[in-house]
Amino acid sequence: MSHFVATLRSLPEYLRLFRRTARERYDWVSPLAILALSCIGVAFIFSAQYSTRPVLPKELGLKWILTMFSQNWVKQILFLFVGAGLYVMVSLVHYRFWLSIAHWFYLACIVPLILVLIPGIGTESYGAQRWLDFGFFSYQPSETSKAAVLLMVASVLARSQIGTVRQSLGTLGKLALAAGIPMFLILLQPDLKSAIVLPPMVFSMLYVSKLSTRFFAVALGAFLLVVGVVGWDSYSYVQFMESHGYSYQTDRGKYEPHTWIKLHDYQRNRIIAFVAPEKIDPSGTGISWNRQQSLISVGSGGLTGKGWTQGTQAQLGYLPRAVAHNDFIASVIAEEKGFLGSLTVLSLFGVVLFNGIRIAGLARDRFGTLIALGVTVLFAVHVFVNIAMTIGLVPITGIPLPFISYGGSFVLSCCLLQGLVQSVYRFRKDFV
Amino acid sequence: MSKGFASNYRIVILAFGVLVCFAGIGTRLVFLHVIDRDKLVRYVDKARRTIAIENARRGDILDTKGFVLATSRSLIVLGVDPQVLRPEDEKKWPALADLIGMPLSQLTTICNTKTRPAAADDKAEDDREIRWAKLSETITESQYDRIKTLGIKGVVGTRVYRRIYPHNQLAAHIVGYVNKENVPAAGVENYADFYLRGQNGWRETEKDGRQQELAQFSSRDVPATDGYSVVLSLDSVVQNIVEGELDQIAKKFTPQKATIIVSDARTGFILGLGNYPTFNLNEFNTAPLDVQRNFAITDQIDPGSTFKIVAASGALNEGLVTLETRFDCTQEWADYNGRHLHLIPDDHHFDHPLSVQEIVGHSSNRGAARLAMLLGDQRFYDYARAFGFGELTGFPFGGEIPGTLHPPSKWSGIDITRIPAGYSISATPMQIHYGMATIASGGELLRPTIIREIRDNSGETVYRFTGSPRRRVITQKTADMMAIALHDVVVEGTGKDAAVPGYQVAGKTGTAQKLINGRYSDRNHVGSFVGFFPASRPRVVLSVIVDDAKVAHGSAYGAVVAAPSFQRVAQQLIQYLNIEPVEPVTELKKPMFAMDGGHR
Repeated sequence: MSHFVATLRSLPEYLRLFRRTARERYDWVSPLAILALSCIGVAFIFSAQYSTRPVLPKELGLKWILTMFSQNWVKQILFLFVGAGLYVMVSLVHYRFWLSIAHWFYLACIVPLILVLIPGIGTESYGAQRWLDFGFFSYQPSETSKAAVLLMVASVLARSQIGTVRQSLGTLGKLALAAGIPMFLILLQPDLKSAIVLPPMVFSMLYVSKLSTRFFAVALGAFLLVVGVVGWDSYSYVQFMESHGYSYQTDRGKYEPHTWIKLHDYQRNRIIAFVAPEKIDPSGTGISWNRQQSLISVGSGGLTGKGWTQGTQAQLGYLPRAVAHNDFIASVIAEEKGFLGSLTVLSLFGVVLFNGIRIAGLARDRFGTLIALGVTVLFAVHVFVNIAMTIGLVPITGIPLPFISYGGSFVLSCCLLQGLVQSVYRFRKDFV
Repeated sequence: MSKGFASNYRIVILAFGVLVCFAGIGTRLVFLHVIDRDKLVRYVDKARRTIAIENARRGDILDTKGFVLATSRSLIVLGVDPQVLRPEDEKKWPALADLIGMPLSQLTTICNTKTRPAAADDKAEDDREIRWAKLSETITESQYDRIKTLGIKGVVGTRVYRRIYPHNQLAAHIVGYVNKENVPAAGVENYADFYLRGQNGWRETEKDGRQQELAQFSSRDVPATDGYSVVLSLDSVVQNIVEGELDQIAKKFTPQKATIIVSDARTGFILGLGNYPTFNLNEFNTAPLDVQRNFAITDQIDPGSTFKIVAASGALNEGLVTLETRFDCTQEWADYNGRHLHLIPDDHHFDHPLSVQEIVGHSSNRGAARLAMLLGDQRFYDYARAFGFGELTGFPFGGEIPGTLHPPSKWSGIDITRIPAGYSISATPMQIHYGMATIASGGELLRPTIIREIRDNSGETVYRFTGSPRRRVITQKTADMMAIALHDVVVEGTGKDAAVPGYQVAGKTGTAQKLINGRYSDRNHVGSFVGFFPASRPRVVLSVIVDDAKVAHGSAYGAVVAAPSFQRVAQQLIQYLNIEPVEPVTELKKPMFAMDGGHR
């Protein structure tokens, strides 16, 4: 409590933003890796849409500019420039500033999440309301809510004593609320993928906060139980469908009355499509098309790839054009630059992530540690789930690849989060 | 280094967790990139490569004068890909609707239906995109040209060929047809498919993820080679005459079946071949299979008296008799090889011994038996075989049967008295016809030939078929003598109704009782008239065979049901083929006795 009071007392001092640190220092490792990743991203967004690129008018003019800026790789460059500005700004601000305004920031991010659900305000697309349309820019509130949850959880944890589960019940309750509200709102959109990246982040922040191991054991147990139940349910579903000779596609809904598990058959189909695609989509042209084509893209790339803009899977649209430049950008890289390309990208992410963990370890206060670690885990989840999905290790979810996948809101939120890590590096206390 | 509030140890554990995830990804990448690569690359190539077939145009079937009996009309099957339609083309839709003769509302519905639901379930997450919807399948080339000038993206045509038979039923059993799957199913269509079908071209290209062809990746382009035309020996005018007469026969006698065959006397080329009942080639799918059979080769009948030419020719050819040699045909019994055989009675009583000429002219059963007995079992059998009975004529398609002619070893005691008159033997109309043609050709058994030549699509002859005789059966002299005897049939014998005034017709009537349930029926007959003309310089061989004609009074004798038809057809052929009257065959033909002709 005294800590909180002290923080409040020194608030005016924190509010002097963009202070110089006592000893000027910068982390150059992450920004350089991020720059490299961003360049790779732009190059392969260009490549993914190479075969459908618009024809530029001959003479320069408004039309030329409009055509130029209708291309996603150009937009991505713009976003990256704005993102770079955001990164610099955030890294210049002492991270403890966020501790003081975490509640307000949190609130500011929750409101758009509610707004986006109101018909007429949020833009519907692919059956979900995820965007707020500002004309020149569509904003995806679920992106900033990642930062909001991170800061909120970090600030709650920084102000509480964590020990056994019994001692920490109140804190856990606050945390459940802090992470639960945005997750619930995001699930309402519905946008499962944006919601599932949050729990690993929150759990890892709890983990390093020395919450008792028993809690994690129970959580893991509960998780395994859910997986088990879903697995058993899927198995019974397959048995049921096959013993009745039903088709997975046309007889959807037939199994639902026979079970107490509130899953829809189309969701079961997706699970089966991941576990046993040959059962549900023997021809590989339906529900498992993307996964199949992505695997083919990656595999056919070989050691060095087919060459930039030369990947047949991506160029000819076998890898669906709607997702090649965002969710499946890793497949494009793997196809066109092969194993070496994939390895380069993976290494660059390794640099960013392990550097993030190093910074978390360097930080001398809990808030700094938690921010750096939370950001890193969040990135790790993105990187892992995205790449693993393109190589068939996890089910297809539309989680993008940081700094590489096309997407304005995502680039900005990534820059903001990495800016926080830089801020932690710069403003960390140096006492032992 | 303890911070007291955060666990470095646990951070390391987390870092290790991240490392494990990375290692997992790395391993999987190695597997995909290195180990599964070949399999996946193969899959990619297979999925992408596509072979587009360019249909060859099937050749025509022409008659001997070049009239088209079967042809291929090129049509465009027009379809639309609703996914690639551009909004700016919508103003062109009315023009398109006009061109293809479809109501605009219907066209709009087709164009705007972009998906078909995957399931009734409203959770349907993957409605199938419609990539092709049929607009019309009967677009002509000129219509298609106009449609192309509209320039509507997404409207595409595929060229197909449809087989057309301009004369419907004409020569149906000869021409045959190509079925709906473009498989030649019968007749010349099937037999000469090798020439007609041509060679489809193909184009190997790659296709993109939406199954659209990528012209820029086209790797091989082999143009189609159109099929050759097949020219038949059939003359559609002759065929028309034949089928017109068959209609008359059908109306008059309502027979079970009837066949008329016309062939060139010298070469054996078939000029006309018609069967009743027949069918329309353009509606082959509604015709019962039974009607599609070419009875002239698939069905056997007892030839009856037309077979008497074998015994007579044989005896003459062996020099055992002359036309003047006489036999007493009043005797009911004959002694043969130590047996006492009963002879088939004749319809008429002859009050004097009959010459060979008269035996043929008046169709004496007993006379024929006597001639055969002179030859003996084996020699008579050999002549029957030589005339082509009991073996396939070699008509190239339609499932010919060889008929039934047992060797002497299998004969019963009385067969030597029955077979010469055309009983206890079965033959196809084609065999009977070419048996007679042997005499018309001057003694050579000819091959029934139907295809005259093969032409390429510029009309140049690629290959010409010639009629080739199968073998010599009798000498020219014997053939001449037989012609005289057969001419007598028409002048004063059983076939007077076949006579054409001013022309010498030679021929033979035939009437056979039909075998019904194993017994010869005295109500059901096969009546026939088989002959040629002009007798002294034969040009045309003509057979009329009517199976089970219904006549008001008496029996369906060949003289009643077939001879008049022979005469009508002969008359028209004489006009059409411009056959000039010729001198009398020889003085020999002078009538010896005034007699009323029997019918057999």
